[in-house]
Amino acid sequence: MTAALANLSALVLLITVTAYSVAGGVDFGAGIWDLLAGGGEQAHEARALIDHAMAPVWEANNVWLVFSIVVCWTGFPLLFQSVFASLYPLFSLALLGVILRGAFFAFRHIASGPRMERASSLVFGISSVVTPFFFAATLGAIASGRVGIGEPTVPVWEACFNPMSISFGLVALAATAFSGASFLVGDARRYGIPDMVDYFRRRAVVATFGLIATGALGLVAIGFEAPRLLGSMIGGLGTPFALAAIVMTPLVGFLLWRGRFVWYRVLTVGAVSSLVLAWGLAQAPFMLPGTLTVSKAAAPVATHVALAIVTGVLVLLVAPSLGLLVYFDQRSALEPTKY
Amino acid sequence: MRLAILLAADALLPSRIQMAFTLAYHILLVPFGVALPFYTLLMEGIGIFRGDPIALRIARRWSVVMAVQFAVGAVTGTILSFEFGILWPKMLGRFGAAFGLGFAIEGIAFFLEAIFIGIYLYGWRRLPPRIHFVMGLVLIPAGLLGAFGVVSSNAWMNTPGGVTLDASGQLGSVDALAALFTKALPYEFWHFVIAIYLTAGFFVASIYAVAWLRGRRDQYQRLAFAVPFTIAALLAPVEVVVGDLSARGLVSDQPTKFAAMEINWKTQSHVPEIIGGLLTGSGEVVLGIVIPSLDSILVGYSPDAVAPGLSSFAPDARPTTIEANITHLAFDLMVGLGTAGAALAAWYFFVLIRRRDLPQSRWFYRGAALAGVGAYVAVESGWVTTEVGRQPWIVYNAMRVSDAVTSAPAAYVWTMLALLVMVYAVIGIIFVTVVLKLRARWRRDDLAELTETPEEGVPYGPRPATLRS
Repeated sequence: MTAALANLSALVLLITVTAYSVAGGVDFGAGIWDLLAGGGEQAHEARALIDHAMAPVWEANNVWLVFSIVVCWTGFPLLFQSVFASLYPLFSLALLGVILRGAFFAFRHIASGPRMERASSLVFGISSVVTPFFFAATLGAIASGRVGIGEPTVPVWEACFNPMSISFGLVALAATAFSGASFLVGDARRYGIPDMVDYFRRRAVVATFGLIATGALGLVAIGFEAPRLLGSMIGGLGTPFALAAIVMTPLVGFLLWRGRFVWYRVLTVGAVSSLVLAWGLAQAPFMLPGTLTVSKAAAPVATHVALAIVTGVLVLLVAPSLGLLVYFDQRSALEPTKY
Repeated sequence: MRLAILLAADALLPSRIQMAFTLAYHILLVPFGVALPFYTLLMEGIGIFRGDPIALRIARRWSVVMAVQFAVGAVTGTILSFEFGILWPKMLGRFGAAFGLGFAIEGIAFFLEAIFIGIYLYGWRRLPPRIHFVMGLVLIPAGLLGAFGVVSSNAWMNTPGGVTLDASGQLGSVDALAALFTKALPYEFWHFVIAIYLTAGFFVASIYAVAWLRGRRDQYQRLAFAVPFTIAALLAPVEVVVGDLSARGLVSDQPTKFAAMEINWKTQSHVPEIIGGLLTGSGEVVLGIVIPSLDSILVGYSPDAVAPGLSSFAPDARPTTIEANITHLAFDLMVGLGTAGAALAAWYFFVLIRRRDLPQSRWFYRGAALAGVGAYVAVESGWVTTEVGRQPWIVYNAMRVSDAVTSAPAAYVWTMLALLVMVYAVIGIIFVTVVLKLRARWRRDDLAELTETPEEGVPYGPRPATLRS
């Protein structure tokens, strides 16, 4: 019973991290394309589209981030302590991105004049690179087995910056660019702007190759640094999701290359979430590979009962609320300006 | 030389400063995040049910300010949750299973706020008014739920409960309900919630009090002043009573904090109340106004009541002299401002009942103009009282702040602190600039008697269409 409840909390934690990766990824990806847009008429048009597409869902992503942190320290206090004790530099850098992003949201609409707009765009772009890279790097550092229980067992800088953490960060950058471009295709279609559909379609195809390349690099890093993890990604709990990611990622690129606008967003979400789930489930039952299992990290049972109740209430309240938001949004009840 | 010593020491000092700085900053946004939706909805309700376009215009404008501050508060709040891990990993590692429960509940509230603030702000034009109003209503309980969660966690630090510790001091078992509802929760919660409703009310009203002083006397100004001020004025005397109950609760729950608030050195009867004044290292009180036996009377309604004194506790288990003085002066400042707020409220209701109209005295509006900032100072000093008064404990009588701190080098935390101060300053400047720009545009609109939508082109909403149509 205790083990089942702790596993449930661990699953909630993994799903929350996945949700942040997907939802945040779309927004960060938009920021990366904003940064890479360069100058000229088309870049201006692309930025205008990104701006529009971002507005209604903006800061909501922090919700996932905060909830995953809270589930971690409540349900798995020892994991939380260990991860922060070893990886605080990575979290600090990721946080810097979160702050810059928040500042940008306030900044971009009071920015007037090309120089200010350039500055605002730069802040948005930097935050969109820094945040996903360093958050994903923490997952890579954990997977590399360099996080000690309670206190660091290797020098902090070594725990933070190693082939695994860096390759996870690169995968995250490619994945956000990938999902950002894919969703911007959808937005361009919704607003009926054919040349922007083509613009982001091309970028989605490029990002697909980027994701495949960094993904392969990541697998090589895992193979050298954490062979056991690779083993359970190939033949273990992580396998279905690893396979799903391998199938869905090129499929998105293929569909967009051929201009077949069906299922591509669902497949994008599927591909990115499969990446995260493949890692998380391949690590099970370990939270820190080889040393700290879910049951060893778990808080006393009453805490997990409480977390299960909180999660249940959350689903009951938030699911219909989100449904309402989507319903109003689809009926264009939430768009103060006409397009 | 000095710098070298600071950088070589452990990270305790910069960690405390960083936590204090980021929390003090975040608390500035809390009254607007939790209580402003109530005032905005009240105004929208007046607008809808009395068919008053002016009230609706006020509500729309307030909702924009609410949204801008929510954007900033979501960031500073996220940073706080990470700071628990970066600065105090050992506290979370040991007590997260109990302390964290309140934050889990706050997580639900954060989700609901994020969704419904979006619907509310974007729905002004296209949603039917009553549906729009009902959507906004969700923000009120969501804000209260969030406040409950955070205060519950803070109350747990003050009066930890619902846990058993094994021989090595590690957490043995948890009783989740007992950990959520600790002894300090009832008075902390009501004291806090009333404080932020009161602060939001006084602060919003103070803007229109300034407008009155500058000669604006139309229906817009009257309504925007009277609605929040009346609510805040109703709450002000209640807060005095609730605050008194809170202080009384501390006598048994956290005697060291109470002794520091009153800078009382010896546990005895006939303890005087000291207003202002400082405690010296040898337990003497210098300066300050001394009212004989009043502290004892406040504690137990009798001069014979025994009040706790600092010297009854081991030096390493009670606030230092400096901390006691900070706690005491912050407490006195909060009580003084609270009393002044209640007096202003009495003035307001006296005029309102006698003349059946708003006050017309310049001095009243000068007071009302100061009440906004005064309420904020009171909130901050109340927070200083409770946090500094708990020292040296991060979890009262269970874990010291120095045992919870990160093992990161001091230089690292100092650097992070310096960066945070700079970035927070920029965010503050941006926030103020946005609000001033909004004000300037609204003023132009009012002069031109335009009724176009004020929420266009602000940070939260999409800017007017720049795409081809």
